[in-house]
Amino acid sequence: MQISGTFGPIDIAISGIRAQDENIKLISSNVANAHTTDAGMGQPYRRVEAVFKSDGIGGVELEEAAPDMSDFIRVLKPGHPNADEDGYVEMPNVSLPIEMMNLTMATRAYQANTAVLKRYQRMVESVLELLR
Amino acid sequence: MINLNNINSLSSTANLGLNKTNNTASPDSPKTNFSDAVKSAGKYISNVDDVQQTANLSIKDLLTGKSEDITSVVSAMAKADISFKVLVGVRNKLIEAYKQTMNMQV
Repeated sequence: MQISGTFGPIDIAISGIRAQDENIKLISSNVANAHTTDAGMGQPYRRVEAVFKSDGIGGVELEEAAPDMSDFIRVLKPGHPNADEDGYVEMPNVSLPIEMMNLTMATRAYQANTAVLKRYQRMVESVLELLR
Repeated sequence: MINLNNINSLSSTANLGLNKTNNTASPDSPKTNFSDAVKSAGKYISNVDDVQQTANLSIKDLLTGKSEDITSVVSAMAKADISFKVLVGVRNKLIEAYKQTMNMQV
């Protein structure tokens, strides 16, 4: 791991902000598709979860949008066009409270990274005060 | 009495701030005079200008809709801001040292 000079912390904080940005994209995709019964291949929408990895220079990046392989929720909806012969429809394995919780965590992480960026700028400014 | 050798350490401060490029100015060299210090500060102006051009370009890209990446604008702006502040700090110090020397009673 190497942090490059004065701009290192800025790049790292920005990488964290970008990663959380991607995370929020995935969460909003989960929320938007919470009731999508047909996401192609005759399957309902499968929720995705962000997996992060270190980018090798001290920052973070999104490794992949990992699909959540837990079971779909079966709901009795006989009139639904995607219902099977018993009248059950498979609904996405998205749970809105969990998504809201993840959204809050992502937002807080985003804020934390912006706080680091802001604080670092103030640190540099206070060092430059010493020049005066 | 002001010691003009102190200005050499100033140029090494500038080197710390902008160590992305330009290692030609060697702050460790024992004999450097004031004009060298001014020249080395002058070299950093082009570096700072590069950073500011990058920031400018990213703002332009954002405003014209070429890119929607606000974070890259923020990062470019933060870098341009810091480099410019370092440059201004070093410049002020150099001018101050020059003035002090010029006002010295002989």
